[in-house]
Amino acid sequence: MRIYEDLRVVQTRLAVVQYVILVLLALLAASFWHLQVLRHRYYRTLAENNRIRVVPIAAPRGPLLDRHGRPLVENRPSFNIVLAPEQSQDLDDTISRLARVLGIGQGALRERLARRGAPFHPVVVKADASIEDVAVLEARRFELPEASVQVVPVRSYPLAAAAAHALGRVGDVTERQLQSPEFADLKPGDLVGQAGIEAQYNRALMGQDGYRSVIVNSRGLEKDEAGRRPPRDGPSLMLTLDADLQRAVERAFRGRAGSAVALDPETGEVLAMTSIPAYDPNHFTMGIEAAAWNELARDPATPLMNRVIQGQYAPGSLFKIVMAIAALEEGIVTPERTFYCPGYLSIYDNVFRCNRADGHGMVSLRRALAESCNVYFYQVGVQLEIERIARWARTLGLGAPTGVDLPHEASGLVPSPAWKLRTQRLPWYAGETVSVAIGQGQLTATPLQMGCLAAMVASGGKLVRPRLVRALGGRPVAAEPPRDLGLKPGTLAAVRAGLFAVVNDHGSGWRARIDGVEVCGKTGSAQVVSHARLARGTPAAALQPHAWFIAYAPAERPRIALAVLVEHGGSGGEAAAPLAREILTRFLGDTLPRRAVVADAVGP
Amino acid sequence: MIDRRLLLGVDWFLICAVLLLTAIGVAMILSATHDTRHSELYLKQLYAVGLGVLGMLAVLSVDYRRLADRAPVFYGASLLVLGYLLVLGARVAGTRRWLQLSGAQLQPSELVKIVAALLAAKVLADSRKESLGLLDVAGLGAALGLLALLIAAQPDLGTAFCLVPLFLCVAFLAGLRMRAVLALIAVLLLVGGLGWQYALKDYQKTRIYSFLDPRLDPRGAGYQKIQSQIAVGAGGLLGKGYMNGSQSQLGYLPARQTDFIFSVLAEELGFLGVAVVLGLYLLVLWRALETAQLARDRVGAFLAAGLTAVLAFQVVYNVAMVAGLVPVKGLPLPLMSYGGSSILSTFLAVGLILNVRMRRFVN
Repeated sequence: MRIYEDLRVVQTRLAVVQYVILVLLALLAASFWHLQVLRHRYYRTLAENNRIRVVPIAAPRGPLLDRHGRPLVENRPSFNIVLAPEQSQDLDDTISRLARVLGIGQGALRERLARRGAPFHPVVVKADASIEDVAVLEARRFELPEASVQVVPVRSYPLAAAAAHALGRVGDVTERQLQSPEFADLKPGDLVGQAGIEAQYNRALMGQDGYRSVIVNSRGLEKDEAGRRPPRDGPSLMLTLDADLQRAVERAFRGRAGSAVALDPETGEVLAMTSIPAYDPNHFTMGIEAAAWNELARDPATPLMNRVIQGQYAPGSLFKIVMAIAALEEGIVTPERTFYCPGYLSIYDNVFRCNRADGHGMVSLRRALAESCNVYFYQVGVQLEIERIARWARTLGLGAPTGVDLPHEASGLVPSPAWKLRTQRLPWYAGETVSVAIGQGQLTATPLQMGCLAAMVASGGKLVRPRLVRALGGRPVAAEPPRDLGLKPGTLAAVRAGLFAVVNDHGSGWRARIDGVEVCGKTGSAQVVSHARLARGTPAAALQPHAWFIAYAPAERPRIALAVLVEHGGSGGEAAAPLAREILTRFLGDTLPRRAVVADAVGP
Repeated sequence: MIDRRLLLGVDWFLICAVLLLTAIGVAMILSATHDTRHSELYLKQLYAVGLGVLGMLAVLSVDYRRLADRAPVFYGASLLVLGYLLVLGARVAGTRRWLQLSGAQLQPSELVKIVAALLAAKVLADSRKESLGLLDVAGLGAALGLLALLIAAQPDLGTAFCLVPLFLCVAFLAGLRMRAVLALIAVLLLVGGLGWQYALKDYQKTRIYSFLDPRLDPRGAGYQKIQSQIAVGAGGLLGKGYMNGSQSQLGYLPARQTDFIFSVLAEELGFLGVAVVLGLYLLVLWRALETAQLARDRVGAFLAAGLTAVLAFQVVYNVAMVAGLVPVKGLPLPLMSYGGSSILSTFLAVGLILNVRMRRFVN
C-alpha cells in the first residue's frame, strides 16, 4: 500500500527556499553588473597599472676630457649580479647555491636581501662582479634562473688619485639633496656628482634617462616590451687640464702634503690642479664602504679637502707683491727709492726682525723683492697703513673667491680695522699692520688666489677668472674675459723686474732657475708658529712654516703661471721652488734649448 | 536494477545544465592554466568528471531510501575517517585534509557533506511531528556539529560551514518553528563569536580583517580580494576574450583555477558570461528544489533540498567572494573549480537528486 505523506508544509517552505536562492543569485548578478558595467572604466585602469611597469634605462654620464681630448673621467661597463627572490622555488637552496657560485658568504647575501627596497624588483647581490663571476653564472643559467646579470655604466677615473679633487667624484644622491628643489626630479639610488667638476656640472653631465614600458606578470618577470624611449647620453665635458702636466705635478710632490695650481695667464684656464693628500675616486664609484669613508673623513690630514681652493694659509712673503703694487700705485715708493735694512725694525715698542739677521743694507724695490727683505716692506706698510693695504689686497683678488667653477671655494681673509671691530670687537693695533705687510697676521689666501696673482703679474695687470671647463658637448664654453686692473705701466715693470731677479739674479728663488728660460717668481714662508718658538730647540715637522712659491714663465710672453705650496716645507726657496722648477721644465719641455738644464748653485 | 520506467523520470534538463556548467569549467581551467606549469589540469578535471559521472550512475542504480536508511553507518564511517585524518593524516600545505589513495588525493570532507545530507534527511524524516522545537533538532544538530568540528580542525572552515545551511534548511523544511530558527541563528552567531576569539587561526582572522580593509595588507590576504575585483571589473560587458584576461594570464589572480575560477570567467567572458553561468546555476538549483517538491516522501524531499542547500551555499559564497562581498574562504565553486573531490561529491549529490526525482512514482 502506498503511503502518502502529507508534504504540504514542506512544499510551502520549499517554495520559500526557492525564492531565497533566486533573490540571492539576483543580488549577485546585480553586484556583478555594478563591477563590470558601472565601474568598468575604474577597474580597467587598475588592471592596466597592474601590468605595465616603467623600467628606466640609465643614461651614461658625460665623460670628462683634458684639453687635448684625452679621457680623464669615463664610464666603464660593470656587471651586477641580481637575484629575483620571488621567482625562486626554494629560496634557501637558491641562496646557498648562489653564494657558492659567486664565492660570497651566505650571511652577506641574506643581509642584502633583507635590505632590499621595493619588492618585485631584483636585488643586487654582487656589484661590479668580475668577468669570471659572469661566466660562471651564465654557465649555470638553468640551475639558477632567478639570478641574472645586469650591465650598468660605472664611473672610471684613469688618473686615479691625480686630479682627484678637481675632477671630483660621484655618489648616491643623499636624502638631504633629494629634498632640495635642485634634485627634485631624482630618486634614491641615482648617482650625482658630489665634489669637484662632477658636482659643479652635474646637471649637464647627467644626460637624461630613457625608459622602457614593459608588461610584467605578478612576479615582476618581464613578458613583453610595450614601448621605449632611448636615453640621452650626458655630453662630454672638455676641461682645461692637461693630463700630462697633472701627472707631472703629482709626481713632483713625491707624496708630501701640499697643493699646486697652474694657469694660463691670458685666459685663466687651469692647466693643472693638485691637492695632496688625495684619494682614489675609483673607490667611490660603487658606493664606498662606510668604514673606508669614515677613515677618509676623519683622517687628520684631511684628504677630502681640495687644498687649492679650500686651504687658507698666510701668504707670507708672496704678499710683498701686493705691497709693492700698492706702494707704487699710491706713489709711496718709486723703483729707485731705497730703504735702510739693518736686520730689524724697531717700532711701536716692538722689534720686527728681517729674514737676514745682519740686514740687507740700502735696498731698493728690486732687491727687496729678490731677497725678500722684510724691513723694506715693514716701512712700506707703515706708510701705506692698513686701510690702503686692505683695499689693494682686495683689488688684487684676495679676500674673495676667485669664482672658479668648483663648489665650496674659500675666500681667504683680508683683515681691516672694520673687520676686526665687527668680528672681535677690538680696535686695530698699528703693530698688526707691520705683520700684515709681510703677509702674516690674520691674512690668509688660497693657493688659487696666489696663482691668479702670479697670472696677473704675468699678463700685465689683468685679473683672470680661473676656470676648468673649455667645451661642453663639443661647443666651447663662453668665458669671462680677464679684467684689466688699470695699473700704471711702470708698476708692473718694476714688479716684474723684481720677480725676475728672485730667480735669476741671486734671489731667494734661485733653485727655480732653468737654463735658457726666463722664469720669474716669488718665494714665501707662511709662519705656523712664532719665530721665537721655532728657535727653541728642534721644532717638530708640524710646526715648520708652509713653503710657498709662485712663478710664471717665460718672462717675455708667459704661457704658464704657477702657485705651489708645500705644507710645513720650511723655506719657500728650499722646498717649493725646486718643485716649481720641475713643473715648469715639464710644461715648457719641447721649447727648452738642448743645453743641460741645471741651475747654478749660487748662494742666495 | 534500473527499471525502464525509471529512465523516463530522469531529469535530462538538469543533467544537461550540469554538464554544460562542467564544460565551461573545464574551458576556464584550460584558459587559466594553459600558460603555466600546470597546463594538464584540465585533463585531470575531465578524468574527475568521468569518475563523477560513473559515481552518479552508481548512485542512481540504488534506491535513495536504502542509502538514507544506512545513513548512521555512513556517519560512523565518516567519524572514523575524519578522526584518522586528524590524528594520523599527512600534512599537506599546512592542513590535514587529504587522504592519499594510490596515486590520487581525496578530500573526505567533500564526501562527508553527502553523508551529512543523508543523515539529516533520515533523522528529520523519521520524526513525525508537525512542528519541531529546538530540542527536537538538537540531536541532529549535535551530530552534524561534531562532523563540522572535525572538519574545521583540519582546518577547513569553509567546508565545515557548508553543514550549517544544510542543517537550517532541512530543519526549516521539517517544520522547525520560526522562533526556533531565529534562536538557532543566534546560537550560531554566538558560537561564531567564541570561535573567533579562541579558535580561529591567525590567517583566518587576517582574512577577515583584510576583507574589511584590503589596504591593510595589499599583498597578503586582501590581495586576492582586490585582484579578483580588478579582474572582474576589467572584464566589462563582453569580457576580454577567451584566454585573453590579462589579470588571469599574467598571474595577478591567485588560485585562479580553483577558488577564483569565476574571476577568470568574469574577466574573459564579461558580464554576459557571468549572467549566463549564474542563470545555469539558478536553473540547476531551481530544478533541484522542484525535484524536492515532486518527491513522494519526506526523506526524498529533505535529501534533495539539503543537498541543494549545500550546493547553493557554495555557489553563492564563492561568487560573492569573487565579487569582493564576503571574506575569502577556500570554497570551491561546484562543477567549475578544479578539484577531483569536489567534482566527485557534486556529481554524487546530483545523482542523489536525480535519484529522488526518478523514483517519485515508484513504490
